[in-house]
Amino acid sequence: MDTNIYSVVVKAIAKQKQISEAVIDRNSSLESLGVSSLDAITIVYEVEEILDIEIPNEALENLTTVQDILDGISQLVQSKA
Amino acid sequence: MTKKVVVTGLGALSALGGNRYEFWDSLLSGESGIRPLTGDFPGQLKIVSAAQIQNFDSQLHFSADRLPQLDRYSQLALVVAREAVTDAGLDAIELQSAALVAGTGCGGKETDEQAYRQLYLDGRKRLHPLTIPKGMPSALASQLSMDLGVTGPVFAVTSACASSNHAVAQALMLVRSGMAEVALAVGSDAPFSFGLLKAWEALRVLSPDTCRPFSADRKGLVLGEGAGALVLESESHARRRGARIFAELLGCGMSADAGHITEPSVDGASRAIRSALHNAACSANAIDYINAHGTGTELNDITETRAIRQALGAQAERVAVSSTKSMHGHALGAAGALELVATILAVYTQTVPATQNFTVAGEGCDLDYVPNDAREMKLRCALSNSFAFGGLNAVVAVAAY
Repeated sequence: MDTNIYSVVVKAIAKQKQISEAVIDRNSSLESLGVSSLDAITIVYEVEEILDIEIPNEALENLTTVQDILDGISQLVQSKA
Repeated sequence: MTKKVVVTGLGALSALGGNRYEFWDSLLSGESGIRPLTGDFPGQLKIVSAAQIQNFDSQLHFSADRLPQLDRYSQLALVVAREAVTDAGLDAIELQSAALVAGTGCGGKETDEQAYRQLYLDGRKRLHPLTIPKGMPSALASQLSMDLGVTGPVFAVTSACASSNHAVAQALMLVRSGMAEVALAVGSDAPFSFGLLKAWEALRVLSPDTCRPFSADRKGLVLGEGAGALVLESESHARRRGARIFAELLGCGMSADAGHITEPSVDGASRAIRSALHNAACSANAIDYINAHGTGTELNDITETRAIRQALGAQAERVAVSSTKSMHGHALGAAGALELVATILAVYTQTVPATQNFTVAGEGCDLDYVPNDAREMKLRCALSNSFAFGGLNAVVAVAAY
């Protein structure tokens, strides 16, 4: 499941920022990838659509790395399961 | 003494072509942009004719990361504004301090309709985060400011089919007042989305074939899409930088019918024309051409004819009046900008584009409508009329420079 989430998130970031998936890893900071707040909510929208989950606004606070997004989504997916 | 304002750059994107040169060539040769409606619509439409832009490839104009932010109406606006700015030879510093007023009648309808379809029909639970910033009626103004680097006063105005002329009026006042030396006026509309077309059908004003303004056998208007752009600047600024000057923007007049939500009023339209003449300090004797609102509907054409007679008196007899909507269709909020580009090029080249598809003059339509053939003639001053549904009227006056 974690691999799937990782792949969905990386694809969403790559699509939004028009960059190669290869330059993104778990430790990449969102700032270094040029992810603005509008980018962030668009990436979250893509992930919600694909994984069929609802990400609350509070979950978007204090996101600084790709891993932070992965952790938040993993929790949501687990609680849903 | 009122500051002189001149026009130094033009852009046009319509069913008549991708730039102002193609636009003007088509207007002079009488080529029509009205063709069978094309598009992928999710239901039946009665509309058969439309003036749609041919072969518009958004990927040629915008990068992959910009496109998702741009509704079609913003895309059209950006393309014409870039053309007008290049045409005027403005540099980045001049643009930075410029003003920009954008007119649109419909706004980002394509975006809104796609979103509502997803919610109401497809049962989706959420909408894309760009739905608001892409579809809002001021999106084109924001996108224009970002694309061109314009940081002065920037806003959108909306008054249905008079939106562009109201935008031009605002831009003119910004330059006259000294708030900006350069002001862009842009009008854009992209109305070919299914829900909007059905809404237009319901008004029963659309022609089943073509647009025949002022003719006895006219059957209504033909919807068009497009955008027009004009660069306005103070005469002193234009001369200082050695810009080519197409025409002087003499003045504008605005009025409201305060009457009916769809039926136009002779008095309201006439007051807008008289107000434009007054604002332009121009007498009816000096007007040689009027680019008419001329939609091809029963009511507009007869009302506009009476309004021109009421405003110009005996001078109406010798004024050339043509409706270029017979070729580029009714581009709604973009109509005024496209038609002002036509009016300015008429004055600049001393040639009046014709009213195409003209057969026999309709009852009560008794002016010189320049039927079917463009005409070379002496042009001193000209007017461009826009009379919107809901009785919002705006008329712009220009003069040969």
